[in-house]
Amino acid sequence: MSPQPDGTAPPDGNPSPAGREDRALVVALLGNPNTGKSTLFSALAGIPTRIGNYPGVTVEEKLGRFTHRGRTIELIDLPGTYSLVPKSPDEQVAVDVLRGRLAGVPTPDCVVVVADATNLERNCYLATQALALRLPTVIGLTLTDVATQKGITIDTAELSRRLACPVVRVVAPTRVGVEALGDAILAVMDSTPQPPAGFEAHLSAVDARHEPAAREAIARYAWIEELLAGVVQRQTPAHRPLGEWIDDVLTHRIWGTLVFIATMLMMFSSIFWLATPLMDGISSAMDWVSGLVGGLLPPGAIRSLVVDGVLAGVGGVVVFVPQIAMLFLFVAILEGCGYLSRAAFLMDRLLCGVGLGGKSFIPLLSSFACAIPGIMAARTIENPRDRLLTILVAPLMSCSARLPVYLLLCGAFVPNIPVGFSWLRLPALVLAGMYAVGVVTAALVALILSRTVFRGPPQPFVLELPGWRWPRWQVVLERVREAVWSFLQNAGTLIVAVSIVIWALASYPHSDAAIEADVAATRTALAAQLASLPASSLDHADVAEQLASFETDAGLAGFRRGAAQRQSLLGRMGRLVEPLVRPLGWDWRLGCAAIASFPAREVVLGTLAVIYNLGDIDPGEEEGGTALVRRLRAATWDGTNRKVFTLPVALSIMVFFALCAQCASTLVVIGRETNSWLWPVVTFTYMTVLAWLGAFATYQIGTALLG
Amino acid sequence: MSLEQVAVGSTARVTDVSGSDSTSLRLLEMGLTPGVNVRVVGTAPLGGPMELELRGYRLSIRRHEAARVAIAK
Repeated sequence: MSPQPDGTAPPDGNPSPAGREDRALVVALLGNPNTGKSTLFSALAGIPTRIGNYPGVTVEEKLGRFTHRGRTIELIDLPGTYSLVPKSPDEQVAVDVLRGRLAGVPTPDCVVVVADATNLERNCYLATQALALRLPTVIGLTLTDVATQKGITIDTAELSRRLACPVVRVVAPTRVGVEALGDAILAVMDSTPQPPAGFEAHLSAVDARHEPAAREAIARYAWIEELLAGVVQRQTPAHRPLGEWIDDVLTHRIWGTLVFIATMLMMFSSIFWLATPLMDGISSAMDWVSGLVGGLLPPGAIRSLVVDGVLAGVGGVVVFVPQIAMLFLFVAILEGCGYLSRAAFLMDRLLCGVGLGGKSFIPLLSSFACAIPGIMAARTIENPRDRLLTILVAPLMSCSARLPVYLLLCGAFVPNIPVGFSWLRLPALVLAGMYAVGVVTAALVALILSRTVFRGPPQPFVLELPGWRWPRWQVVLERVREAVWSFLQNAGTLIVAVSIVIWALASYPHSDAAIEADVAATRTALAAQLASLPASSLDHADVAEQLASFETDAGLAGFRRGAAQRQSLLGRMGRLVEPLVRPLGWDWRLGCAAIASFPAREVVLGTLAVIYNLGDIDPGEEEGGTALVRRLRAATWDGTNRKVFTLPVALSIMVFFALCAQCASTLVVIGRETNSWLWPVVTFTYMTVLAWLGAFATYQIGTALLG
Repeated sequence: MSLEQVAVGSTARVTDVSGSDSTSLRLLEMGLTPGVNVRVVGTAPLGGPMELELRGYRLSIRRHEAARVAIAK
């Protein structure tokens, strides 16, 4: 994904001095994480003109543009960093941009260092490093309102004098100081700043046994303590700030854990309850559009392509939007008030045991709703190894798309008998078991990968727990908008393309004569089957019902669709993979359904319905799905009376779908988030192999035990 | 004595951070330099990370990282 020009001509890296007045000024926004950098970005430039990745790396690049006193200013939001001695890809990017070493990104004319007034000592660490770069620099002092509440007063004028650079107080949400910051940027533009003096004296005072980088850190803090002496005054406030009290509860080993569990339960149940009606609404709207478009176009290949290929593909993408928006809304609120770091703090020990870290928790938990927002949420993990590992195992969490498959098969083929207690029934236990299969497999995969391919030095967990504060709604909404938009833009196009390919495979070749022959053959076979069955059996009634449906238009159309699918490339592929799926207890039709469900798992139900000669099942009726259930129960191996669906087969299908990577959207998002096609291929391969092995073991063991 | 052994609620003064890898540099950059006072605010369940207060902010580090930080009471 290469950067693209954003309409207006972007400034190039090597401007001629004469053209300086005409081109946009490039200003880089640098700061520690949690300093209100995003809020300041919105206050200065509004909605970003471009969000993407920096060329060649997966670090997010955010650009904005605004005009101040007639000058156009291009704002680059650098990744949040604690130091300019790079230790992560994010920090490397920040340093490279500031030094003008990143191809395709203009060298900044000016740096705005965002510094948190509640925590000036540590923020000055980065600020003084930035001043040493000798770029024109302005310090934007944020969160001064919170600092005042905490009893912290800062002598801005004296700080500005000692650091030899302008210091501007900004309260971004109310835009206080935003104009002044713009003025300060224009004022320092042409200056050649001198870094503040005194650092060298401290450096030579540090014990020489330390490494050079460690010496720099020790000396820098000693210097900062001297620089800030008399500038920052702390008074113990009359009341203990509410934030500290809240924090004591939230990170308490018992209360904190309880609040945490309650928060997560609330978050996920509400995602489920709030997003489901919206998703149903989108589905209905898409059906309505499909009907409308289908009515306008003449029947034929074009209509089929538009309705079954393009619109079905678009619908499949858009339907994820409510879940993504909801999840990012919650994550942004939790992040905005500082809770996300607390969650990582509480869960770190548990996740460390399997080779992950505390920050993997939210992405993994999100993946129970949908792997796509989960994988996107992994952006909050700055360590690339942990992030990749989290992305690779996230699709193993049983997402909401697997639920209809589990519900259908549990309801239809798992005997509804109590297990130990009268209220605990076998189908519910099997359902819970499917979730456990995913979690346990993810833990094992993470454990094995972290001990083999991803082996490396232990990754540090040095995490700031930012002060408790109210989330800024602009930032929260911006995060949601950003997540939804990047999903629609990048993943959308590819998901639609994949859907069209599957449509083509399922639709061609198409020969009416061959279809009619197939329908006639099916009818003959059913009639023969009917004759061989005892008249009183349940199957007799079902087969009779199927035969009767040949007489209705809808029934006949269903059989034709089934025949067309059997003869399509997809159907042929199903027969081709039959030797592969036979050890799982599946017939070729199940293999075919598994292939067809590559774009999205939930497609498997519709495919099963079509392929077992049912016609399309209304997705809304899947759960009760009595017609589908009866047909599946009656389905037999081609030319025999042997049932396809037995308990071991149903379990084998469920285990397969619990572990497989049958979700093109997820694979596309993995490709985008890792900026490589290697990882989607790895994910698909390992998950498909695990799914096959799991289904194989389930079927073989199940058959051995149940006969 | 190391920071790992400091009881919840107590304050200690950092005397040294051992090691010369990126972890110890990160600890120094986050402000755990010799001479700074650190209060142990709490710990996560199951022997998880420690929550510290220093230089006016709160920081969380794992126990084996805290073990690198030498302190004086």
